[in-house]
Amino acid sequence: MLILKTLALEPMHGYGIAVRLEQMSKGVFRLNAGSLFVAFQRLQRAGLITSEWKATENSRRARYYVLTDQGRKRLNSETREWGRQVAAIARILEAS
Amino acid sequence: MSLLRSMADGLRSLFRKEQVSQELDEELNGFLEMAAEQKMKQGMGRKDALRAVRLERGSLEVTKQVVRSASWEFLVEACWQDLRFAARVLRKNPGFAAVAILTLALGIGANTAIFSVVQGVLLAPLPYHEPDRLVTVWLNNFRLKSPTELSYRDFMDWERAAPPFEEMSAYAWRSFDLSSPGNPEHLEGREISSDFLSTLGVELALGREFSAEEDRNGGAPVAIISNELWQDRFGGSATALGKSIVLDGVETTVVGVLQPGFRFGNDYADVYIPIGQRRLVDANDRTVHDVACVARLKRGVSLREADAEMNAIQENIDRLNPETEQGLGAKILPAKELLVGDVRGTLLLLLGAVSLVLLIACANVANLLLARSAARAREFSIRAALGAGCGRIVRQLITESVLLSVLGGVLGLAAAKWGLNAVLATRAADLPRSDNIHVNATVLFFALGVSITVGILFGLAPALRSSRADLQPSLKEGGRGATGGHHLTQSGLVIVQIALTLVLLAGAGLLFRTVQRLWKADLGFESQHVLTFRVGLSPSATKTGAGVRAAYQQLLDRIRQVPGVQGAEITTEVPMTHQINSIPFWVDSHRPASVAEAPRTLGFITGPDFLQTMRVPLIRGRFISQQDTINSPLVAVIDSELARTYFPGKDPIGRTMTFPQVGDYRIIGVVGHVQHWQVGFSSPFMQNQSYVSIYQVPDRWMTTIDTWTWVVVRTPLAVSIVLPEIREAVYRAAADQTVYHAQTMAEIVSESMSPQRFPLILLGSFASLALLLASIGIYGVISYSVTQRVHEIGIRMALGAEKRDVFRMVVLQGLTLALAGLVIGVAAELVLTRLLSSFSHLLYGVGASDPATLVSVSAVLIGVAILACYLPARRAMRVDPMVALRYE
Repeated sequence: MLILKTLALEPMHGYGIAVRLEQMSKGVFRLNAGSLFVAFQRLQRAGLITSEWKATENSRRARYYVLTDQGRKRLNSETREWGRQVAAIARILEAS
Repeated sequence: MSLLRSMADGLRSLFRKEQVSQELDEELNGFLEMAAEQKMKQGMGRKDALRAVRLERGSLEVTKQVVRSASWEFLVEACWQDLRFAARVLRKNPGFAAVAILTLALGIGANTAIFSVVQGVLLAPLPYHEPDRLVTVWLNNFRLKSPTELSYRDFMDWERAAPPFEEMSAYAWRSFDLSSPGNPEHLEGREISSDFLSTLGVELALGREFSAEEDRNGGAPVAIISNELWQDRFGGSATALGKSIVLDGVETTVVGVLQPGFRFGNDYADVYIPIGQRRLVDANDRTVHDVACVARLKRGVSLREADAEMNAIQENIDRLNPETEQGLGAKILPAKELLVGDVRGTLLLLLGAVSLVLLIACANVANLLLARSAARAREFSIRAALGAGCGRIVRQLITESVLLSVLGGVLGLAAAKWGLNAVLATRAADLPRSDNIHVNATVLFFALGVSITVGILFGLAPALRSSRADLQPSLKEGGRGATGGHHLTQSGLVIVQIALTLVLLAGAGLLFRTVQRLWKADLGFESQHVLTFRVGLSPSATKTGAGVRAAYQQLLDRIRQVPGVQGAEITTEVPMTHQINSIPFWVDSHRPASVAEAPRTLGFITGPDFLQTMRVPLIRGRFISQQDTINSPLVAVIDSELARTYFPGKDPIGRTMTFPQVGDYRIIGVVGHVQHWQVGFSSPFMQNQSYVSIYQVPDRWMTTIDTWTWVVVRTPLAVSIVLPEIREAVYRAAADQTVYHAQTMAEIVSESMSPQRFPLILLGSFASLALLLASIGIYGVISYSVTQRVHEIGIRMALGAEKRDVFRMVVLQGLTLALAGLVIGVAAELVLTRLLSSFSHLLYGVGASDPATLVSVSAVLIGVAILACYLPARRAMRVDPMVALRYE
């Protein structure tokens, strides 16, 4: 879900995603390359993202990941679901 | 959708491995470079930055491995690697591989062969439309407790009574002499009702079925012929329709041609004619039971419901015809049961036996693998030390064993194909649906399944053991690894092998004794030097009863003149050919209420010389003679069985027995009982036998009697010499008479033992195969243990042990295993033979736990075990203590 979120704004390459995740979580999520790329492969095979080779701003070749329509839908539904769960957990915690 | 994408993606990375791996490389490299640049911007040196990134995010190679192994295609690739490695390992050990594959091929081959028989005969559906709804319907005689065929009148009554069938048809046996077109020939034929083929749901190759008009008395003579006859007589030409063939002298129009190979169950015939055209005397006689009824159940009607309904219908018929029908019910059986018959038990028994052989083969290969895994202990320790997981090593070993077994399976299939021909040759004619037996897709599937299962089965034990082995000792130079445990497992496997082998040997032994007893059994007649054959009288002779009588006299006169012929006679029954001429009768005036309730006797309608020709002993009174003719009082000879049952303690001579519709017969003699059914087996009913003269048969039956008569000839000459002369004599009597179905009585007797002989041959070969495998097993284990114990033996000898002691020690080790196996095997045999009634039913003259058989097969097994130990024991004896100890 987090990877999908980082791609919601614009297509990005692997390192960009890692950095963005780190920035957005203020350094809480520091992903190791292995888990990151396994996730890319999985999302791609599920049809939630696609990829293409493009030049970076530093004129290096990199694979850019793009969110598909299906991915966007999944992001929305998962965000909503997550919200519901967090709210529910919060209510339980407050109740006790 | 996503599954498809995953498949496509996976396949891409499988087949374009280079490109995919390069892309991943580039991407990961870029990732690390970018991370490093970031660090360099913060002032780190390039080297330090790269190192820091690797620490933080994981190194390139590890990451690659992680990403790759997350996808399914990785598993495929690993298996492929395992497979290639396994193939290399096997190629490096050709001796081991050859022995293992051959052993498995024998086991799997034998199993596949027997399975193809089981599949073809028992499992495959009948080749008709929706065969599950096809049934056969019988009359059930409550008194005799046996289902019998029905009379044509019964069939017509059933048809009128709205039976619970979609369609119902009649089928009766009959043979014909075909005289045109082509050479005269005797043909098997059947009478069928007009809807017989549509009941089965079978299409004709050409033409049409009989019409309802043709299927009644006075209809035009028409026939449907087999595809084979059509090819033979008409060259397969479509113009055959409407042409005529001459059957028993009657011009008959061909209206249809059957599909090639059509048969009803196992029953093949060349000519089919409408049953409705049979002579009125037969069609209206309720005591002539010669019609089989085939029907198709209505959809949704169960066998039990249909059975109840038919019984209600028959009850009604009983009420209307009490004289003939009272005491008769109906019985419905699935068509398959009739067509497959009683071989089911035997086949399943053989399948069980052959799977024991496979188990023994598996145990052998498992032993080989165990011995080898001990030798490979170092290899596995090294792999484990390098980080291979326990699962990985097990998978590697299982891959190796499955590869072995699949190779064995492929070779086994070839063996099966060959073995199948051997199996069929032992009993092709007797096995129902034997034309349906071949190695087909189902069989291939079975062989593959068995191979893989077997591979996992025998690979698992050694694999688990190897993967658990302690690393330390086997990595040490010269360490011998965990061999003690191996030895225990190996011994266990050998004990199991011996036990299984004993069970098979005992089974074969018991059958062997049975067949031995059968050969010695008293048949009640002398079967040696008797030749039997059938003669189709010329159509001109069968117009009148007197004509038939004259034709037989003339025929026999000619045959008796052939040099070397000591006696010749006509009979309707030849012992052990499964002919049933069952005649109701009663003694004196004890007439029962209904014919169906009368006792039955097997009626031999013969010429006066039959009993002498067969050498059946006369006990009292006299034989039938030439003077008993159509003009003299009716006389009958009975056998000792009938005399004992119906005249206990009294003299039957001079008493009267009545055959309904024929007349009262005076009993003139008592003769010995003849084994008419299978040798040594008492049929549940009809042990009574009686003999009447063919020359006293009323005219109305005499004109058709030649379709069921045989000629028996006693001659000491060989068949090949005397038969052509007899043929010549018959043709000289009348040119259009045919001689067919010639067989010696010895052949008939031997054939009647095929229910025992068939499993005996197969069980015997399985048992010898098992014996061979088990002896290899013992040899393997003992010689392996000798190799392992060279040290110990060397020390013993250095300490003063005699060569003899060493020899005895080794042989004793083998014998202990064999004895343990024997005890278990005998126990298993005793239990199994009691449980398997299909086996004990085959036995004759020996008990299932016959001690003589058990002792002799045990002796054989012990002998083989000692032989198998002999070679390794000699090797142990020759151990030179100096050499053995210097090794250290």
